[in-house]
Amino acid sequence: MLTIRNLNKSYAGVRHRAVLCDIHLDLARGEYIAIMGESGIGKSTLLNLIAGLDSPDSGSIKLDGTEFTAMDDDARTLLRRERMGFVFQAFHLLPHLTVEQNAALPLVLGGGAPAQCSQRTHELLGAVGIAALAASYPRELSGGEMQRVAIARALVHRPQLVLADEPTGNLDPDSARQVLQVMREQIKSNAGAGILVTHSPTAASTTDRIYVLTAEGLLPQ
Amino acid sequence: MMRAATLRALFHAASAGALHDNPGRFFLALLGIALGVSLGVAVHLINASALNEFSLAVRGLTGKVDLVIRGPRAGFAEELYPKVARLPQVQAVSPAVEIDVPLSGSSDRLKLIGIDPFRMAMIQPALLAGMQNQITDLLDPDAVLLSHAAADWLGMKAGDTLRAYVGTTSIELKVAGLLPPSAYRQRLGVMDIASAQWRLARLGRLNRIDLRLHPGVDIAAFRHDLATLLPAGVIVTTPDVEVERSASVSRAYRLNLDMLALVALFTGAFLVYSTQVLSVLRRRTHFALLRVTGLTRLALVRLLVAEGALMGVAGSTLGVVLGYGVAAAMLKHFGTDLGAGYFDAISPALHVEPGALALFWLLGIAFCVLGATLPAIEAGRRAPALALKAKDEEESFKKQRAMPYGMALIGFGLACTQAPALTGLPLLGYLAIALILLGTILILPWLVAVLLPRLPAPRFPPALLATAQLKASPRHVAISITAIVTSFSLMVAMLIMVGSFRNSLDHWLTRVLPADLYLRAARGGETGFFTSEEQARIAGTPGVASVRFLRSQNLLLGPDRPPISLLARPVDAGAAHHTLPLTGPSRVPRADEPPPVWVSEIAADLFQYHVGDHIILPIGGQAMRFTVAGIWRDYARQTGAAIIDRDLYIRITGDTLANDAALWLAAGASLQQTRQALRERLRGADGIDIAETREIRATSLAIFDRTFAITYALEIVAVLIGLFGVSVSFSAQALARRREFGVLRHVGMTRREIGIMLGCEGIWVAGLGVGVGLALGWVISLILIHVINRQSFHWSMDLHLPWLALAGLAAALVAAASATAVWSGRRAMDRSVLSAVREDW
Amino acid sequence: MLAWLAGAFVAPRTFAQVTSNQSPVTSHSFQYPLEGYQSQFAPVVPGYQLRFPRDEGSHPGFRTEWWYLTGWLDVPDGTKLGFQITFFRARLRLDDVNPSAFAPRQILIAHAALSDPAFGRLRHDQRVARAGLGLAGASRDRLEVWIDGWTLHQVGPGYRASISARDFQFDFTFAATQPPLLQGVNGYSRKGPDPESASYYYSLPQLKVNGALTRNGKAQSISGSAWLDHEWSSRYMDKDATGWDWIGINLANGGALMAFRMRDRQGGRFWAGGSYRSPDGVTRTLGVQDVVFTPRREWRSPRTGTAYPVSWHISAGALAFEIEPLMDDQEYDTRLSTGTIYWEGAVRALQHGKPAGSGYLEMTGYWRPMQI
Repeated sequence: MLTIRNLNKSYAGVRHRAVLCDIHLDLARGEYIAIMGESGIGKSTLLNLIAGLDSPDSGSIKLDGTEFTAMDDDARTLLRRERMGFVFQAFHLLPHLTVEQNAALPLVLGGGAPAQCSQRTHELLGAVGIAALAASYPRELSGGEMQRVAIARALVHRPQLVLADEPTGNLDPDSARQVLQVMREQIKSNAGAGILVTHSPTAASTTDRIYVLTAEGLLPQ
Repeated sequence: MMRAATLRALFHAASAGALHDNPGRFFLALLGIALGVSLGVAVHLINASALNEFSLAVRGLTGKVDLVIRGPRAGFAEELYPKVARLPQVQAVSPAVEIDVPLSGSSDRLKLIGIDPFRMAMIQPALLAGMQNQITDLLDPDAVLLSHAAADWLGMKAGDTLRAYVGTTSIELKVAGLLPPSAYRQRLGVMDIASAQWRLARLGRLNRIDLRLHPGVDIAAFRHDLATLLPAGVIVTTPDVEVERSASVSRAYRLNLDMLALVALFTGAFLVYSTQVLSVLRRRTHFALLRVTGLTRLALVRLLVAEGALMGVAGSTLGVVLGYGVAAAMLKHFGTDLGAGYFDAISPALHVEPGALALFWLLGIAFCVLGATLPAIEAGRRAPALALKAKDEEESFKKQRAMPYGMALIGFGLACTQAPALTGLPLLGYLAIALILLGTILILPWLVAVLLPRLPAPRFPPALLATAQLKASPRHVAISITAIVTSFSLMVAMLIMVGSFRNSLDHWLTRVLPADLYLRAARGGETGFFTSEEQARIAGTPGVASVRFLRSQNLLLGPDRPPISLLARPVDAGAAHHTLPLTGPSRVPRADEPPPVWVSEIAADLFQYHVGDHIILPIGGQAMRFTVAGIWRDYARQTGAAIIDRDLYIRITGDTLANDAALWLAAGASLQQTRQALRERLRGADGIDIAETREIRATSLAIFDRTFAITYALEIVAVLIGLFGVSVSFSAQALARRREFGVLRHVGMTRREIGIMLGCEGIWVAGLGVGVGLALGWVISLILIHVINRQSFHWSMDLHLPWLALAGLAAALVAAASATAVWSGRRAMDRSVLSAVREDW
Repeated sequence: MLAWLAGAFVAPRTFAQVTSNQSPVTSHSFQYPLEGYQSQFAPVVPGYQLRFPRDEGSHPGFRTEWWYLTGWLDVPDGTKLGFQITFFRARLRLDDVNPSAFAPRQILIAHAALSDPAFGRLRHDQRVARAGLGLAGASRDRLEVWIDGWTLHQVGPGYRASISARDFQFDFTFAATQPPLLQGVNGYSRKGPDPESASYYYSLPQLKVNGALTRNGKAQSISGSAWLDHEWSSRYMDKDATGWDWIGINLANGGALMAFRMRDRQGGRFWAGGSYRSPDGVTRTLGVQDVVFTPRREWRSPRTGTAYPVSWHISAGALAFEIEPLMDDQEYDTRLSTGTIYWEGAVRALQHGKPAGSGYLEMTGYWRPMQI
């Protein structure tokens, strides 16, 4: 489903350096992998490239056979809206929207009918275990609860690919364990693929496979 | 106490970065303050220069005089002069004929003063010393000596010919030379008194006698005795009162301009406020870190206030310099006449009052400090931990404590509108506007909090997000619209006021110009008149059905009052409401009552005349009793006017001359032919203007529009400042919401959609601001119309809402604000927001 | 004698027009009927018979006229003072048709000065006014001329002058002790080789003065002797003259001497004349050759730097006098009113070092040459 070939990316700057060098990755539908690596090795850059938020110097990224790198920003944005979901370390819920509104955001942006949006959102909030908090505002939630909302938001529109960047970095071990479990369940039940970028071996161990990003490339562990 | 070095270090740590990050915005705010200060300084300097010059000029006219005897335009019989000269207390006397003559070949007037140089020398030896060699020239009956200001203005030099209208023809005077530069500062010409009496058709009349008394004479007591010798309507006064009276005419106008300048400064303070809010937001984490590492709350507040003060010093200094430059340039190129024509006969040098400049400088700084203090206190109040965690900004803005104060201010302001004028100035009216404005600003957050939840929730996702965003942040919305509310309300108020005035003027012109054609002699100047013979010729012109002649004089009713106009024209006492624009019921005097007079509302206000009162008017040197038969609206004669029947006037004075004629055409007569016939019958009388009613209307309205041109300029400044407030506020939002925008971009919002969202927010915010501004502006316009104008200028007007203009302006402002919001939020659309979601502080 | 002052006052331009016998042309849109219109100023011609008191009054048809009173006063404390009271009349233009009461047909100027050796220089004051409205004027029938409160007029057989100046007040009466002394040929006095350059001129020497002098607010009664000159002319000075020296002396023996010379550009004699009336009443007119002014001593003004020959030797026909000033500094600065500075002061006449009379000396044109 996701095919990455010969991906290279370097940053011009004071210290000109290659960040990503000849990356190859194949990800099949239903597959959930973890990417680990040292700080600054380029994990986030790789994630940005996969999400279409940044352009590679060379190489190809295909999602279901669609070449990503050739698209313009708006096309990539629309693709992202339809086929991807994001979970961030700092949750990044919109403070002035309720839990339900936050979770429903990708559906609303996609122009879904209100009734269907509402049904799907409630379904997902139930699935991540916070249906009771639907009318609450983010500031009333705990970290674990906020990340569950974020997971709901990432999956509400049934994306083909969920990208999670250190989603448990701000959580206590207990919450982290629950969130990882919920995430795995949802990615699997959605029949999409998932990429989890993390430092934590514990977190990584909840995925199907683990890759390590090194200066030489992306290597299976 | 912080040591200076510590403060400097702190400043470096906390402030320098902010300036470095975004110098553009900093300088924009600086410019805003500079603009406010410069406007204030310029208006003040121009007015002060004009006034100073005016006082000097008026003083120059009177010289070292103990007392001045002054008559109305028609003057008094010259026999008074030897009578006064022979009084034992009098050391020296100087008689004068003073008259404004319309110049032919231009639309200008020039003041001509006929003096007896020998007599004047006794009172102003210095003047004579400078004129030593010109006195002989002056005695020539055609000679006029021009002041330097007049020569420059007219572009004339010795030997040129000055043409002026007297009666219905023009006379030629020879410019015999220029007066010494020190002699007179205003535009005027000096003639010998005999020449002036003769050539300007003032034989046997004087307007003024200056007196110097022997040392030791009790001036007040002598003045009192002298007053009893004078004919009715001739007053004796001191030069100081002369200066005061001359300046008093423009006092209300000058105050108006000063107030407008203050408004600009006030708006400038908003800029600083919003800039500081923005800058505090931006450095929120920075400050939190400083707090965590040991900076006390007070020190932080002090630091931020110091920043404001620094901005104030820079902006104010720039403003003073800028204002000085603007004033100098204005004076050089346009003179001091700011559109109202009060100071058109003088050409002053820039008169700098260091005290006033310092005041404006300090005012600018004070406004800056004030603008910086509120965000500073807020920054100080915020718990460092909260700021570090980048929690919701609205948290600390929850409480609305200002609302009751705002309500109280508005209530107090409304009460102030009921107060009368203080020393002839609508000071409390201005206070009322300030209080209501301030009160509204204070209740804005509450008002916004009440109004926002009522916003509909649209389905269009960007609009939905915009609505949600606004509903969740009433405080930010309130900040955003404060500037709009302030500037737009003032603009609306001015617009309504000017619109009402123009509308009322238009109606009034219709009432006062009922005839088909109007004739006037010498362009309506003081030297113009139609002789009886000319009147007969006009009346007998083919095509003329009827004529109404009008004689215009003026009357002095008190030493400290400018003269009021006396208009003598045919009035049917029983049907006055048909011919005069009366503001209320008229009253026909009973047979045992004195004859009727109709006074203008200005005169009624100034002298407390009421319908039915018996009043005394000094006409033709006699104190005549009249019954006030009605009060009429008058926009033409600012110092007041009274109308009496012309037959009565002729009976009293024997003066059969007329200044104007109103002509009604016979059925079937054409305007063009009648004009032609009049020209032929009055051949040689080149000083006659013949105008159709519509021409006069058009000219009058054009003059009106010119007078208010300056206010439009000030309004534009106010609106720009209002838009700047929107920009600053939205920039602040864009900054605070970077991560939010980042998330939205991740989630799949395109740049365009984010732009639309910001645009929607802009529309909502501006719409709200414009709505509140409209309401507030309406209230202020009522105060302007019924309190400020009434008390300043004593004329009433009917409220007229220029709906189309208001709607257009509102729409334009909303559009501009929306565009500004998008433009200011453009950062939200660039790539950097994408990385913002991973920023972790 | 200050005719040119009045002339200067009424402007070089007008003067020039008048001397060339052109009536100034002005264009008026208003035309008023002329009363007493004259195409030129009245000429001074020989053969006119002066009549009194008629000719003591003013002659408005002539361009300039003056009444000039000078004399010596005895104050009770024994000191001697000089005084001068002058009224000038100047007619501005001939075609003055302006009906205004202020029309400047006649300008009146009055000067008053007091020479007090104790004060060291002149104290003086002046008045200028146009005739009219009763405030200033000159009677045609008798000597009566006034500007505001300053008056000189006939009272009974004598005259009275009342002057209220800044620093002093005069209230003097003058009694004639002799008949008028007609100067020149029966009052026709030539001022140059051109016969038109002349004046009508008579003097009243040996006038007895009585009255009150007020200085510093204190009035003193005074007595003394004075000299009145009354002169009117339409063309007083020739254009080639630059100034003059004039002297009038009441001789102790009852006689009277008047002598003058007009100076040319080189400072030499342009014209001269005078008269001597002996105590027995016989008058001898002095011709150009009879009068010789010889300077003896100069005094230089510390204020203006002008040098005046304040001491003279004067020979007039058979007579000769040394002239010494009451005090050197009798320089008269009238720039504020008439635009010039001259010397006008009380002098003693001596014969062989012995007092022979007292009078007044006037020297013009030393500060700057007179310009026309």
